[in-house]
Amino acid sequence: MAVGTSAVVETNTALPTPVKVGPRRGRPWGEWLTSYAFLIPAIIVIGGFTFVAMGVALFLSFFKYDGFTLEWAGLHNYAKALASADFHRALLNVVYYMVVVVTCQTILALSMALVLDRIMVGRGVFRTVYYLPAITSSVVMGLIFSWLFSPGGWVGSLVGIIIPGARQFGWLLDPLSALPAIMTTTIWSTAASFMIIFVAGLQDIPTHIYEAAKIDGAVGWRSLWNITLPLLRPTIFLVVVLGTIGTLQVFDQVYVMTNGGPLKSTLTPVFLIFTNGFRDFSFGLGAAEAFILFAIIFAFTLIQRRFIDTTVEY
Amino acid sequence: MRSTRLGLALAAMAAVLLTACGGSSSAGGASGTVRLSGWTSTPAEDKLLTDQIAAFQVAYPNIKVTYEPVPKDFRTKLKAQLASGTEPDVFYVELGDAAGFMQKHVLLDLRSEMAKTGTKASDFSSGVLAAFKTGDAIYGIPKDFNTLALFYNKDMFTAAGVSPPTKNWTWQDLTDAAKKLTKAGVFGLITNSDSARWAPMVYQNGGQVLNADNTKSMLLDPATVEATKYYTSFKKNGTGTYSGALGSGIDWPGAAFAKGKAAMVMEGGWLIPFMKDYPAIKWDAVELPQGKSGRGNLVFTVGYSISAKTKNPDASWILVNYLTGLDNQKTVLHSGFALPTRTALANDPYFAANPAAAAIFAGGAYGKPFSWGINSGKVADAISAALERILLNKQSVDDALKQADKEVTDALAS
Repeated sequence: MAVGTSAVVETNTALPTPVKVGPRRGRPWGEWLTSYAFLIPAIIVIGGFTFVAMGVALFLSFFKYDGFTLEWAGLHNYAKALASADFHRALLNVVYYMVVVVTCQTILALSMALVLDRIMVGRGVFRTVYYLPAITSSVVMGLIFSWLFSPGGWVGSLVGIIIPGARQFGWLLDPLSALPAIMTTTIWSTAASFMIIFVAGLQDIPTHIYEAAKIDGAVGWRSLWNITLPLLRPTIFLVVVLGTIGTLQVFDQVYVMTNGGPLKSTLTPVFLIFTNGFRDFSFGLGAAEAFILFAIIFAFTLIQRRFIDTTVEY
Repeated sequence: MRSTRLGLALAAMAAVLLTACGGSSSAGGASGTVRLSGWTSTPAEDKLLTDQIAAFQVAYPNIKVTYEPVPKDFRTKLKAQLASGTEPDVFYVELGDAAGFMQKHVLLDLRSEMAKTGTKASDFSSGVLAAFKTGDAIYGIPKDFNTLALFYNKDMFTAAGVSPPTKNWTWQDLTDAAKKLTKAGVFGLITNSDSARWAPMVYQNGGQVLNADNTKSMLLDPATVEATKYYTSFKKNGTGTYSGALGSGIDWPGAAFAKGKAAMVMEGGWLIPFMKDYPAIKWDAVELPQGKSGRGNLVFTVGYSISAKTKNPDASWILVNYLTGLDNQKTVLHSGFALPTRTALANDPYFAANPAAAAIFAGGAYGKPFSWGINSGKVADAISAALERILLNKQSVDDALKQADKEVTDALAS
């Protein structure tokens, strides 16, 4: 990302300026109005559905609100959330989920991107096929995988070839296997979109570096380990951060596949927020949990920023 | 002077116009648009309602009904609509929500509207109507009701040499039959982790879920604990299981029954039309077996309520009165979906010809409403989770109920 941005800046300064771009104050009113007119839809949508909603949620997190009566609660909702066994369980579940999913999807996406990068014939076809899961609705995906994981389903039948009796095993019905089953679904579906980011990252690496390395005798694994991976650091960082944020917010697969069960083994914070807010109508508690989750995601991102060095010099 | 006279003339005209309008509505010519919302069920059941609405449109052309079916999470959507003031004029209210809605004053007291059409509270079965009453005020008209019955697969009973169940069966009879009927791929009885299947057995055993005014958990009552042990004994003995364990597409006990994976299930009238798609299964139903305290059952009902904020109470009530009227309830009864709440239909010849419907109807005489007050949802959750822990062998009955008792106590206190 950083590479792309600096390149653009360089080109801009190098170009002569045929159109006079004056300071903002000198711009004619019409132009100013036109540019803002173009922004209005985005301002309404992002403002209304993101910023206003966030503000209302922050406000509600300090109240006891069931949809009908509003009652000041101070920090009670936050205290209740932090003390709640369900919230602890949900956080533990989601951290387990995050570690496994982010690791697997990053490795899988990178491997697929490396393979795609080598393929010369039919690259477009492979790219499309690999990308298909990313554009499939997560609900559809959840339904298909629920079916694959059901007793007597495909997964059970396959495992049943090796372990007799596994055919009738309900992967989503056992507290030990339900979350891994959801992880598999997520990894399979999200690896594809991260693969595209890696493909773009790989194409950013100048070929002359590989050529120089080749002359020095670095090919195959050495070139991957010493050139590709270090130069891909900004992309890896992006993928890991996006993956972390995405996995900490997992909801749809849980909603479709297990509803948080069995025995709360797939309960995740966002699912709990949804349950508290929209089923039990404790909007304040749900909002407080949402802000605690926000703080956790923010902390994770900061930590990752600190530990992954993203500056790259070509 | 002139302006005063003009003013008077205008006032007189306005008065005439106003009286004219008022006159037409009190004469039963209510008009306008009424929004009606409920959840969708099976296609056949949905058609029943859309047919009723179409017939209503013919009978009352001045009232336009906008039907807004909600396929999933109806209750969530309705609560969000009530909170934001965008609820429909007429909507379904499930028994478990009725207490909370009445407490929040979001429903219209129907008494004055009922008086206009001559509809009396005594037209409806009092036990079922009670769920929608606070004192004398009536906040909803139950559209139909259901209880549970023991559905059984006739061929499986014959093959196993077990005589078919009767309404005089005891728990011991049920246990023995389940054992004999269980064979490869077929279980005797389906017991899901569902408080709505477990509670009848608690009542049959003389136990309680909450105390009479829904303020205290009674889950550790010895009779309740004993009933829970009995309910989960089928899974423990291998003579029963929960429907989810039976394979893809079997997402409720009725599906296990229809696909020939279970010899017996405890379900309500909704299973009757469902079985029409499975003509190979020969079945019948009897009243639930009796425990040591005799009979026990649950009453499920859904009412039509009118929003307290409706702009069109007259037209809304005419729609509710039509949908819960004698003719429509008769149609619903004859379709087999649910039982009529109008007492006038208690001796309908349909019951004699359909013993399964008669068995379900009989449950209404002693069944308790499936509602545990304003915290019904949380109470049902805690119980269902406890049953799940027992059925998955994660906890003993005593430990699971102890945990549920604590959760219910916390929920009642909040």
